[in-house]
Amino acid sequence: MDSSHEGWLPDELGDLLARVTRPGRYVGGEFNLRRKPGASPRIVLSYPDAYEIGISNPGLQILYTYLNDATAASAERAYCPWPDMAELMRHHGVALWTLESFAPVAACDLWGIHLPHELTYTNVLELLDLAGVPLHAGERGEGDPIVLGGGPGSANPWPLSPFLDAVFVGEVEGRLDAIVAALGASSRAARLQLLAAVPGVWLPAAPERRARRQVFMGFSHTMPVTEPVVPVLEAVHDRAVVEVMRGCTAGCRFCQAGMWYRPVRERPVELVVEAACEALRTTGCDEVSLISLSSCDYSGIEEAVRRIRALRPGVRVSLPSLRIDSAAVTLARLGSEQRGSVTLAPEAGTQELRDAINKGVDDEQFATAVRATFEAGFTGLKLYFMIGLPGEDDAAVAAIADMATAAASAARAIAHGRARVSVAVSSYVPKAHTPFETAAFAGEEVLRRRQTLLRDLMPRGVRISCHDVGASVVEAALARGGPRSGELIEAAWRRGARFDGWTEWFDVELWRAAATDVGVELNALACAAPSQPLPWQSVDAGFEEGFLTLEAGRAASRQRTDDCRRGRCGACGVCHDDVSMDLVG
Amino acid sequence: MTYWLLTFARRGSASYLSHLDTARAWRRTFARAGIDLVLSEGLRPKPRLALGLPLPVGAAAEDELLVAEVPDLAPEPEVALPTLAAAAAPGLEPLAVLAVAERPRPQAVAADYEFGLAADEGAVAAALQWFSAAQSTPVERVSPKGRRIVDLKEFVTDTWCRAAQDGVCVGFTVRHRSTGAARPQEFVSLVADQAGVEAVARHLLRRRVVYTGLPAGFAGGP
Ligand code: SF4
Repeated sequence: MDSSHEGWLPDELGDLLARVTRPGRYVGGEFNLRRKPGASPRIVLSYPDAYEIGISNPGLQILYTYLNDATAASAERAYCPWPDMAELMRHHGVALWTLESFAPVAACDLWGIHLPHELTYTNVLELLDLAGVPLHAGERGEGDPIVLGGGPGSANPWPLSPFLDAVFVGEVEGRLDAIVAALGASSRAARLQLLAAVPGVWLPAAPERRARRQVFMGFSHTMPVTEPVVPVLEAVHDRAVVEVMRGCTAGCRFCQAGMWYRPVRERPVELVVEAACEALRTTGCDEVSLISLSSCDYSGIEEAVRRIRALRPGVRVSLPSLRIDSAAVTLARLGSEQRGSVTLAPEAGTQELRDAINKGVDDEQFATAVRATFEAGFTGLKLYFMIGLPGEDDAAVAAIADMATAAASAARAIAHGRARVSVAVSSYVPKAHTPFETAAFAGEEVLRRRQTLLRDLMPRGVRISCHDVGASVVEAALARGGPRSGELIEAAWRRGARFDGWTEWFDVELWRAAATDVGVELNALACAAPSQPLPWQSVDAGFEEGFLTLEAGRAASRQRTDDCRRGRCGACGVCHDDVSMDLVG
Repeated sequence: MTYWLLTFARRGSASYLSHLDTARAWRRTFARAGIDLVLSEGLRPKPRLALGLPLPVGAAAEDELLVAEVPDLAPEPEVALPTLAAAAAPGLEPLAVLAVAERPRPQAVAADYEFGLAADEGAVAAALQWFSAAQSTPVERVSPKGRRIVDLKEFVTDTWCRAAQDGVCVGFTVRHRSTGAARPQEFVSLVADQAGVEAVARHLLRRRVVYTGLPAGFAGGP
C-alpha cells in the first residue's frame, strides 16, 4: 500500500476522513505550521467554530506564534469538528486530536479556548465532550488538562464558568511566559495555584478574587505576526493581516470592543511596513489588510498604505470599513485601487439616536460619504444599522429606510444604475462593561415587528438582510448571565444545539426547550434586568467607578462624549500608572 | 514566455485538498518562492498555472503534473526546484521541472490507482473476477448536472489485488476516453459492495498518469 501515508495518520482517523465533508479541516498541513515534538508543556489552542472561521482569527495566530517561537512550550490547534465528523467520532470512539501531531487534545497540559461570542458557547461544550475531557471543571482530575478561556467572552466569564478551570481577562501577550512557567508545577492543583497568581487570571472556583483586565503595553514596539499559519483550504479571509492599532476611543456606547480594548495603542509606520513586507513574503498573498477596531483612525494610515503599495507592483491594501465623517477624504486619498463595495456604518436612523449611542455622524456627513463612494467608482455600498437600541422607537426605525432611500437615489444619479445599495440590520444586545450594560434588551416581539416595518419601508432595489431575531434572543439571554446561565448552555447543548452562529444549524426551538428544562422562559430571561450586583463585576475592566453610569446618563440626555485621542480625556479611568494611550508621532 | 512542466508528489495532509485548493497552494508556493507567474488578461488577472488530471480528495499521488507560465526572466529550473521545495506546503513535493518554449497541451489517457480495503483477500479477489467476467457494470453517477449511468467496464482495466497488513491492496487503471472516464471512488464502491464491506478506501494513491501532448521523453508522456 501507499508508503507515503505510513506513520503519518492513524488508520482510525483516515477512515473517518474518508466519510466527511471537507476532510482537509482536520489534518493541518498549512504553510508556516509549527511542530515541536516532545516539547513541554504542551498547549492546545482552540477556536470554538469550524476550521475555516477559526483559522482566520488573528488573536490565536498571535498566541500560536509566540508560544511556539519564543517559549519552550509547543502550541497545537484544534477547531470544532463539523457535525458530520462529530457524529462519526462519537460512533467510533475517536477523541479530538490536534492538527499538528494528531495526538489527543485531552493529553495536553493546558487547553486555551478562545471565546469570541455567545453563539459559540455550545461549541465549547462540544469540544470538551469530543476530546473526552470532563465537561465540568469540578470533575476534572490529575490527568486532565487545565481549560483556560480567554478573548472577548472573558468580559463576563460567568456563562461558561462551570466548564472552565480558569479565565484570562484581557490581552494575554504580556503574560504568556508566566502562564507557561506556571505549567511547570508538579500537580494540577499546584499549576492552578500558580496560574491564579498570574495577573488577569480569574478562577471560577474562587470567584470573589476579582481579575483585572490586562492591557498589553508592549503592543507598539512588538512586531506583529509575520509568519502566520496560512490555510491551504479556502478560508474566510485570504490575505495577510497586520494589526496596526489596538483599542478605540471613539466611545460608541453600544460597542463592547470599543470599551474593552482601551486605551488606544498604535504601531509605528516603520514597523507596520516591515511586517507587511515580511507577511507578504511568508504567506504568498498579494493583499494586506491593516486591521484594528477602526483602522481609518490609525495616525499613520495614509503613509502605511502608500508605502505598502510601493513594496512591489500588484500589492493591494484592503481598506477596512470607513469612518463616515472622513470617508470622502479617505476615499479620495486611499481608495484609488479599491474595487467592489464600501461599507459605512451609521448604526442608527436619526440624529437623536446617533447622539445617544455617541456615533458622531450627521446627515450631511452621511450624504457626503455616499456621494464620494459612487463618485470614486465603487459599485456597491453596504450600510450597517442596528435596531433595538435603547431609546429607539418606530420612527427611528423608519428613518433607516429614509437613509437607504437617499443612498439609492445617489446611486442612481451618480452611478447611473451601475451601483447597488444594500442594508444589513443587526439587533442590539446590551453587553457587560458598556454604558448600556443595564439597559433593557428590546425583546423578540419588538425586534420582529421592527424588522417587518423596515422591510416594508425599504425602497425597491435596496437589498436588506436582517439578523435572526432568535439568535439575538439567545445572545441576550447569555451575554449578561450570572452563575446559573451555564445550566442553560448545557441544557441546549444536550438537546443538540451546535454551531449556533450558522443559520443552517441554529434552532431557537432547541433553546426554548432548554430554557424550559432549567425553569425559565427564553425571551423573558433575555429581557430580564441583570441581577445585582452585576455578575461581571468579578472582572475589573479598569473603569473609574461611575464612568459607565455617567455615560449612560449622557446617552439618555443625547449628549456626546469626545473621542479622547482628539478631544478631552473622558476620565474613563483606564489610563493610570503604567497604562496609557500610545500614539504614533 | 516559458512554460514549466512541473511534476510533484502529493502526500499526507495535502492528500485531502481539492483540485482547486491544490492549485491555490501551488500559486501560493510560487509567490512564497519569489517566482513570478505570468498573469492572465482581464479585470481580475490570475496567475497562469494549471494542474493536470484532477485528483480525488483523499488521494495521495506520486507523480502529478502542473503547467506554469513564467516570464522569460524566471530562474533556471534547476535553481527553482529547491526554492519551490522549501516554499511548498507540507505534503506537496516538487520532483522535477522542465522548461519548454511551446505551450504544452496535456491530455490524460490513463491513470493507475491503488487503495486498501479492510476486507478478506478471497472476497476481494472474487469481486475482481466477477468484474472481469461481467459484460457491463453500470453505476449511477449523481452530480449537480443530474444523474447518468456510467459503465465502469468501459473505463477500468488491469485490476489486481494482494494481501496487505490490515486487509487487501487493490490496483486498477482508469482509461480516459473521449466518452469520459470512471471515477476512482466508483470502482472502490463497486468492489467493496461485491466483497460485502463498507466502501471506505484506505490510502488511495494515484501512482501515475499517462498523458499525450507532452514533449517526447517527458516522464508523464506515453
Ligand atoms: S483615561 Fe482618558 S485618555 Fe485614557 S482611555 Fe480613558 S478617556 Fe481616553
